[in-house]
Amino acid sequence: MHAFANPARFLRIARPLTPVLLLSGMAITAAALAYGLFYAPAERLQGETVRILFIHVPAAWLGMAGWSGIALASLVELVWRHPLAALAARGSAVPGAVFCALCLASGSLWGRPAWGTYWVWDGRLTSMLVLLFLYFGYIALAAAVQREGGSSRIPAIFGLVGAINIPIIHYSVIWWNSLHQPPSLGWGTSAMAAPFLWGLLASTLGFTLIFAGVVLARMRALLADIQAEARLRRKALES
Amino acid sequence: MTAGFKPKHQRLVLVVLALVAILAAGALAAWALKNQASYFYIPSQIVANPPDPDRGVRLGGMVKAGSLKTAADGITMHFVVDDGKAQVPVTFAGIAPDLFKEGSGVVAEGHMMKDGTFVADNLLAKHDENYVPRELQDMSKQQARQTVAETR
Amino acid sequence: MREGLDPWPFVIAAYALGIGATLVLVAWSWWAMRSAERRREEAKAR
Repeated sequence: MHAFANPARFLRIARPLTPVLLLSGMAITAAALAYGLFYAPAERLQGETVRILFIHVPAAWLGMAGWSGIALASLVELVWRHPLAALAARGSAVPGAVFCALCLASGSLWGRPAWGTYWVWDGRLTSMLVLLFLYFGYIALAAAVQREGGSSRIPAIFGLVGAINIPIIHYSVIWWNSLHQPPSLGWGTSAMAAPFLWGLLASTLGFTLIFAGVVLARMRALLADIQAEARLRRKALES
Repeated sequence: MTAGFKPKHQRLVLVVLALVAILAAGALAAWALKNQASYFYIPSQIVANPPDPDRGVRLGGMVKAGSLKTAADGITMHFVVDDGKAQVPVTFAGIAPDLFKEGSGVVAEGHMMKDGTFVADNLLAKHDENYVPRELQDMSKQQARQTVAETR
Repeated sequence: MREGLDPWPFVIAAYALGIGATLVLVAWSWWAMRSAERRREEAKAR
């Protein structure tokens, strides 16, 4: 695992990978969303509103995957003191927060025509809103630690503890009477007809590639900041 | 340096405070949701243990097929909410969402009257996890289910 | 009485928001990365 701890090795992989992930992700997403907007069929009950599916579901997945990434990287950072893990955790925060907010906004725009309301205080919606606030807290905490020079273990612990919310979001539709329907996709099962399922898988793949590219770009930016600061400090000591 | 408040201890206190804050937020969210859940009834619960008429509650269930009738004024609707065990007649005067249909899920916000009818102020439509294209609508239910099953 | 709501404004708004937010995120993270790496090269050269 420490083989990847070397920043030079990380950069050798990340440099070519970042534009490849971003460009391929944007191409696949563009194709999937064009399909979703113009070619996907109307749904039996929901009609045209169902097209929001191709935005809402990938955003929900990435909002939750972003925090899962923060939690996993925080664990690696705390236990193995892996320096790149700290960058990975902090790099996932902003894209995770953006997709979490997009999930809430697109869900609201879906709820009005489908349910008859933009918002209800139900288990699924409330726990997703809590996740957005956790992201804000994590971003503020990580920025404060970088500025004030505190221990980077504080945001890592926050990231790890905040992960309790992820299973709560997932099971909220089962535990509480919810207006939100239970998941349509499980391991190897689908309650979705093929035209929706394939479009959804394509847009999820596209958005996930974009997400990975953004995380790499954030990690490179954070790494460059740290290296520039270290170099300037060393120069100041020498002179 | 024995009694001094070392920076290390200060950081520890910060971490403990953050942990307590997170746990409190979690507990608060769970409490709020549990509280909210006490406003939610399914027909068998509301029949067995009817809430006070001046308490606003939510009633969730299926709109019984063939039960939906619109009164002569064109606005008032009468229908029956069913959960397989009990049935509750509901009255609603207003604009229903487009997805509100017989045989589909509904959440009605309103009050349970003494005579056993539920007077709704607001209706929310609930849809299930199945996604079926409109073109398949003309098939029988059996065929549609089979088409969905084939994509598994 | 039914709402008879036109779904298209909601669909268009969701797509505009989704595409716009994604493009802003990609552009911002790319720009921040490039300028941070430029600062590092400047620190190296100094």
